Amino acid sequence: MRNITGKQLIVGGAVLAVLIILPLLIPPFGQHVVILTLIFAMCGVAWNIMGGYAGMFSFGQAAFFGIGAYTSSFLLMTFNVSPWIGLVAGGILSSLMAAAIGYPCSKLRGHYFAIASIAFAEIVRIFFNNWEMVGAAEGLTIPMRQESLANFTFNSSKLPYCYIILAFVLFALAVCRLVSTSKMGYYFRAIKESHEVAQVLGVNVVRYRLYAIMISAFLTSMAGTFYAQYILYIDPASVMVLAISVQIVLVAMLGGANTVLGPVVGAAILIPLSEYSRAWLGYKGTGFDMIIYGVLITAISMYRPNGVWGALAGVVRREK
Amino acid sequence: MQILAQQLVDGVLIGLVYSLLAIGLTLIWGVMNVLNFAHGEFLMIGMFLSYWLYTLAGVDPLFSIPLNAVALFLLGMFIYRFIISKVMTGPPLAQLVVTFGVSIFLANFAAFIWTPNYRFIGHTIFSGTWHLSGIILSVPKVISSVGSILTSGAVFWFLRHTRTGKAILAVEMDREAALIMGINTERINSLSFGIGSALVGVAGALLATHYYIYPFVGGTFGLICFCIVALGGFGSIEGAFIAGIIVGVVQTVGGYLFDPAYKVAIVFLMYLITVWIRPQGLRG
Amino acid sequence: MKMRRVLMVSAVIAMALALCAGPGLAQEKVIKIGALYPLTGNLAATGMDCKRGVDLAVQIINGKYDLNLPFAKTEGIPDMGGAKLQIIYADTQGDPKNGLAEAERLITQEKCVALIGAYQSAVTKTASQAAERLKIPYVCSDSSSPTLTERGFKYFFRVSPHDGTMARNQFEFLKDLEKKTGQKVETIGLVYENTEFGANVGKQEKEYAKEFGYKVTADIAYPANSSDVSSEVGKLMAAKPDVIMHAAYITDAILFTKTFKDMNVVPKGFLNMAGYIESDYLPSVKADGDFILVRSTFALDLAKKKPLVGQVADLYKEKYKIEMGENTARSFAAPFVLADAISRAKSTAPEAIVKALEQTDIPGDQMIYPWQGIKFDPTTHQNIYAKAMLVQIQDQHYYTVWPWEAASRELVWPFPAWKDRK
Repeated sequence: MRNITGKQLIVGGAVLAVLIILPLLIPPFGQHVVILTLIFAMCGVAWNIMGGYAGMFSFGQAAFFGIGAYTSSFLLMTFNVSPWIGLVAGGILSSLMAAAIGYPCSKLRGHYFAIASIAFAEIVRIFFNNWEMVGAAEGLTIPMRQESLANFTFNSSKLPYCYIILAFVLFALAVCRLVSTSKMGYYFRAIKESHEVAQVLGVNVVRYRLYAIMISAFLTSMAGTFYAQYILYIDPASVMVLAISVQIVLVAMLGGANTVLGPVVGAAILIPLSEYSRAWLGYKGTGFDMIIYGVLITAISMYRPNGVWGALAGVVRREK
Repeated sequence: MQILAQQLVDGVLIGLVYSLLAIGLTLIWGVMNVLNFAHGEFLMIGMFLSYWLYTLAGVDPLFSIPLNAVALFLLGMFIYRFIISKVMTGPPLAQLVVTFGVSIFLANFAAFIWTPNYRFIGHTIFSGTWHLSGIILSVPKVISSVGSILTSGAVFWFLRHTRTGKAILAVEMDREAALIMGINTERINSLSFGIGSALVGVAGALLATHYYIYPFVGGTFGLICFCIVALGGFGSIEGAFIAGIIVGVVQTVGGYLFDPAYKVAIVFLMYLITVWIRPQGLRG
Repeated sequence: MKMRRVLMVSAVIAMALALCAGPGLAQEKVIKIGALYPLTGNLAATGMDCKRGVDLAVQIINGKYDLNLPFAKTEGIPDMGGAKLQIIYADTQGDPKNGLAEAERLITQEKCVALIGAYQSAVTKTASQAAERLKIPYVCSDSSSPTLTERGFKYFFRVSPHDGTMARNQFEFLKDLEKKTGQKVETIGLVYENTEFGANVGKQEKEYAKEFGYKVTADIAYPANSSDVSSEVGKLMAAKPDVIMHAAYITDAILFTKTFKDMNVVPKGFLNMAGYIESDYLPSVKADGDFILVRSTFALDLAKKKPLVGQVADLYKEKYKIEMGENTARSFAAPFVLADAISRAKSTAPEAIVKALEQTDIPGDQMIYPWQGIKFDPTTHQNIYAKAMLVQIQDQHYYTVWPWEAASRELVWPFPAWKDRK
């Protein structure tokens, strides 16, 4: 699996081509669904690095997503700093936060880690919800500025947003693949199997766990900055809530944790399903869309516990 | 000072309800290593059962406790048999996620069949307040706490003094060894899931006496319950009981002394500090 | 085998296409208006209240009714060739990003010529932003955050009063009270949920308290949907303010009412809002809600001075078997305002509608609210006549008590102690 085969290259290229051409052919709502899918695909890929490879099931990714969204927006609104710089600044800040919280949590495993990550994200949310300087509970309304790539603002069309987030996802995938095939990736897997064994093999468990969390936080934060520039309004209740963290875990799990492309597939199933079912059924107020969503999550965990990507990949391989 | 004492009392009262909720959750976790994210929705169903019994048949919520317990026991067994048991052998992540699906389904299905409206049981046989040297005790809250203590005590006794209870504890301690000793672990799993759910059913009836009821009420209690279970140490009944009270008091008194806006944050911070010092929780 | 699979796939595609193309075959002349509300999730009950209000308004515009409301006596809009309104609903689930997405979908795919709704201000913010970007008029009659009309939007109009006006009205009431009865209020206790809505209300109330010369002795922001509110109430008890102002949605409104009663909190008055006037509040707390004052734009007892209110309320009750409430009444306004603008514009072109909206002048007697009329400020597009009144809960009903001239019952002040009640 270390080398990309020619066949995989062809399939990958075809998917990429579809993703480039598709947004040109569909109405704005479809483009919105593509953008949202890619945002969550990116977060899923980022989650996968710490959850799928290093075995730390984080239910607190919303904190990093939110810090990314807030950092760039705050810098833009108060110091007129370009969101592109804010993107990097947010990533660095998120990584530092991740390290600061990851270090004391370095002994936590399994469900303890999961709950600790929820606790961390909730504290961050409550803190932002009361922090006057960043708008507290009222949130930040990012002003609509001149349309340009340098401003990270596009008013007349969603296409540039589509391609920017597509580039982000490709970047995240590259990072993920690099990590998974490098020495670091093997260390992560060793840690996931057993802290003790990894320790005996000479892996610095605490340090490598921190690396995983920091990389993951950086990528998630990038997605957060993108969200802020795209939606142009953020408040703690919409970018830092548990629902976002859970959505990210679901995307990764349903697609297939522990595989590079799994989260992308997971997002491609989950997000369009929830968006289109809401658009088609939501107006009735019966909640059918959410009922279907719940059933789907349950069914996939039961019948495809390793994610649908495993099954898909199997099909591709068999049909040589 | 008087108000502070009042906060302390209120904290203990709500804390005891948390305890009962957390014991159900921790039992399930301890025995089968499953974190039930649908716990809050089970509570919601329990509350609705009490509500309908009250509205349609005039049954006081307190008398609906046995029926709630049985109904939720069956629901728990059902969900274990047809959903949870299917993922028990799968990867841990699937076990974590499956109950999310169940929780989303239950809340929205309840909204569909019972409408998303808010409901409240106005008058139960116990209402009003007692005054004890300046401290005001809300009678329904006191009844709920007493009910919670009695139920927790019963669970305690059951686990320590009955064959089935001991078998549950044995599985919790060491599943393989229990299997070798001839314990039917599959049966124990579904029993524990049933009992854990039944406890939530009881809590639902108790809360229904003084709490609003609507399909998404589970979310109000869900998150705090996880924190309590983890604080007490996953699988530890005593731990969950004590942690419930601690969380209730910290949230109420902390909110009063500092700022209510941060009261939930204080609880989570306390949890993080605790697991930093003791990664296995208080009694884990 | 292969053939069967191909057949199945094409069947599925055909079905999907049929689903997409289904409703596109209307032949009657209709004007499509998009409406966004939280129809599922946490606030679904409120969203449905709003939806019923819009539905009734559209029914009156499209049908023939002997009511003194615009377009009631005719079918549809005469100046548009009898065109009828059609509302396309979209569910926001209370999430701002869905507000943005659904607004865009309603405009670009459903071809709606105008938007209404959203209820939650945070969602209205993103939805109206989408409308502004796509140059489609947005008439809001149910979101109350002042920031919405402070953005200088060209396409956004608001019919209902915002939190600033309503906060101001609350303090005007306190001054009026002092003038009329000599009952002095000095200290105010503010308690509000820490969300976009609550925090904004709190901010406005603090500003006006200062302007009107009242001392804020408790300023309590708390997390919405708490499982227990003892510490919040404890803080209020310690501060002992003369008047308590609480801003919350219904869940907290119920819990606070119960806790106020249990803890025997008796200020001179409660001036509350939002959750306290939702349709499930009084059935939940029953007599415990009595004597609480709530800010409102509507009350059923307006019927005494304005028969129109009674006629509409009866129509509503006949249709849905429940009483018409504040949320329903607020959402009821937007379709009329839009129909009026479209009729005068004689066009559904966005620019023409916006121009007509700017010249809107609906007289007070053609509305179910106690205002002088509807007329938008030329720069902010806020209805300049919109204001709140105060209703008091008495015998488990809402009665208008202020402004004095609109009152149908005498104000009970100060708040009677809990123990003195039956």
